[in-house]
Amino acid sequence: MKPIVLWFVIRLNPLWRILGADPVALRAIVDVKLTMDNRRSYASLGRYGQAKTGDKNNQFLIVLAIYAFFGLFTGLSMLAIPPKEALFIPLTITFAYLMVFCAMTLLSDFSSLILDSADNQIILPRPVSGRTLLLSRIVHIAGYLFSITLALSLVGLIVITIRFGPVAGIMFLIMSLLSSILMVFLTNVFYLLLMQFTSEERLREVINYFQIVMAIVFYGSYQLVPRLMNQDMLTEAVEWQNWFYLVPPMWMAGAVDMVAQPVFDGPHLLLTGLAILLPFGGLWVMNRVLGPVFNARLAGLEQDSTPVSVKTGPEQTSSIMQRLSRLLTNNPLERAAFGFTWRVTARDRKFKLKTYPQLGFGLAYIIAMSMGGFGAFGKSSGFYLFALYYTGLFVMTAQYQLSASDDFKAAWVYGSAPISRPGEILSGSMKAIIAKLMIPFYVLVAVYIAWRFGLDKIDDIVLAFSNSLIMSISAAMATERKLPFSIAQDVVNRSNTARGFVVLLILGLIAGAHYGLTLIRYGVWVAVPFSIGIFWYLFSRYRQTSWSQIVLE
Amino acid sequence: MSNPVIQIQNLHKYYSTTHVLKGINLSVDAGQVVGYIGPNGAGKSTTLKILIGLLTDYEGMVSVLGHDVKTDPIAVKSRIGYVPENAALYDTLTPMEYLQFIGQLYGMDETTIERRAFDLLGLFELSGHINARMTTFSKGMRQKVLLISGLIHNPEIVFLDEPLSGLDANTVVLVKAIIRQLADAGKTVFYSSHIMDVVEKISDRIIIINNGQIIADGTFAELQHQHSGSLEQLFGQLTGSDDQQDTATEFINTLTK
Repeated sequence: MKPIVLWFVIRLNPLWRILGADPVALRAIVDVKLTMDNRRSYASLGRYGQAKTGDKNNQFLIVLAIYAFFGLFTGLSMLAIPPKEALFIPLTITFAYLMVFCAMTLLSDFSSLILDSADNQIILPRPVSGRTLLLSRIVHIAGYLFSITLALSLVGLIVITIRFGPVAGIMFLIMSLLSSILMVFLTNVFYLLLMQFTSEERLREVINYFQIVMAIVFYGSYQLVPRLMNQDMLTEAVEWQNWFYLVPPMWMAGAVDMVAQPVFDGPHLLLTGLAILLPFGGLWVMNRVLGPVFNARLAGLEQDSTPVSVKTGPEQTSSIMQRLSRLLTNNPLERAAFGFTWRVTARDRKFKLKTYPQLGFGLAYIIAMSMGGFGAFGKSSGFYLFALYYTGLFVMTAQYQLSASDDFKAAWVYGSAPISRPGEILSGSMKAIIAKLMIPFYVLVAVYIAWRFGLDKIDDIVLAFSNSLIMSISAAMATERKLPFSIAQDVVNRSNTARGFVVLLILGLIAGAHYGLTLIRYGVWVAVPFSIGIFWYLFSRYRQTSWSQIVLE
Repeated sequence: MSNPVIQIQNLHKYYSTTHVLKGINLSVDAGQVVGYIGPNGAGKSTTLKILIGLLTDYEGMVSVLGHDVKTDPIAVKSRIGYVPENAALYDTLTPMEYLQFIGQLYGMDETTIERRAFDLLGLFELSGHINARMTTFSKGMRQKVLLISGLIHNPEIVFLDEPLSGLDANTVVLVKAIIRQLADAGKTVFYSSHIMDVVEKISDRIIIINNGQIIADGTFAELQHQHSGSLEQLFGQLTGSDDQQDTATEFINTLTK
């Protein structure tokens, strides 16, 4: 992959000179960045994106293969089925997915890179102009995106070529690449807008929230869109509307459609024109106008900001957290762990990115399902149980992620402090998660269930809560016990299939038992004290975890 | 009458409304080791960044090796070296790859880079780690690579910011010797640090900056005429901070309150 991209870069040397950059430096920078790409871990792919430490550096190829796999579904379903006349909408959807995927990749894998000041520190003191640096970054990102775009559209490309001939295939390929260029431009504008409206410190947080929202939207739409569309949309030709000209995926779709059918009428030609002009226009704007502004903003971001001194005396006010911690915990060590976990889960960007989307998505999913959006299941009698136990699942994931942190080395304090019963730390942090993440969400779901399915469900709500607690604590006890924020991200991400198995087993047992109980009169109420008792017992065992049971790396 | 390699006249710098540098004037000739010291927030890093062409938004005249830093930063950067403290490195690279990259940015040819990098890494006792990724490197090892990366293109002026940070005792002696020999060979070394003992011993000239202004400039002997004692004490008196003993007592008292 790297030699190919570099070959292209060298061929385009005259272009770089025209744009005011140093070709030698540009090539060197792109070269180094590509090498580093092959050694990075890819956050968006989770477990499959882990970097290897050996000599073989095909990390990127693996990433591409995974993306090609994703493209398989859209490619086949969208493009293999509809007849020639009705291609427009399916094509639009394909390109829309492509664009959203590019945007997501730019936001997640590249958020840190684009906003990273390491380049400024390492490269700018050398005789390299700001313009060269900017152009190298754009080339690097474009190369990365092109590779991903190609992988994603590979299947679609094959399908189109088989059905409509090589010309259509080439047009599809070109349009895919142009889509990615457009997304680079739009993302750049987006970042600039964000920098305009938020202060520098908050920028990273805001982007983090956007990533979360996008993750929810993306995975949600992947589920919802196919179901929302009915067969007609796919098989009939579509009526032309004027607002079509405003939607970028439609430009690309129009261009391919034009060649595939073929039909060379006004609207199609206009769409094609837009598809070709706007990406390049965007590039030009980026180089000329946005580039310097962007770099200036970035430099401003990284200014050695003097810590804002806030006038404070020793904190006397008891916040909610402190009151809760006094209520729920029994000794200083537990309380310390409670406060610590509470605060860090609120502030650690990576933790939030891993847990909050699941939350938002789950809630949306539950509501959508119960509205009957997904057919029978949403209306069945067992459905509300599923909704209630979803929280348990979520908490189990959050608790598992709790041990991961970028600052895992800071966990040395656990070793140097005089702690004889580390179980207290585990229990304190577990309580924090329950209080902060589980209860609010559960209450929301419970209120919704009660409203929709009636107040008589209250016994189920109580039992499900207690059972979810049991689920969470059993999962925690079944896995390697680790102290909060003490392990490197990579290590935590490596799959723990045994745990997954145990979790599913427990989930199945408990949910099944609950369902069975609903069939017996008062069965659920009777089970509640037992459930609470079991939870209490398990929790106190958890709390007695000794050092020999703790895994430190 | 030698040509000054660094010349700053009436330099003012504002960070939005904060007046950070309030009229800096200094002139450095070739072959000097200049110790540039001051308390935190005095304007040391800012002056340094302006001198190496990283900040171009200032008022006044700054010229390095005859080039005006504002109009010709690239020329300046190709003839100077900069080693910041604990700076970022692309640590998924090996030291060899990193130095090859940096060398290319200076326009050096590949054979020269490879040979020099190899030899320099060997002299710093990193031969065994030439092809290991720097993610595994300790702080001292990274600092060594940083030092090499700031010098590999044989610059005429070297700007160093806490260059001894993280180095073991033997390497400290080595680097001090290198600094001395650079100066003897006619290069200029502009050295910023908080470790007064070292600055006292290796600098030909000491410049103290406080609150955006230069409050002392001369050899150590000259400075001692006005305030006797070690550089540490001298510095404390000049920057109006010599009550550390009392603060220390207060610290201990607080622990036992």
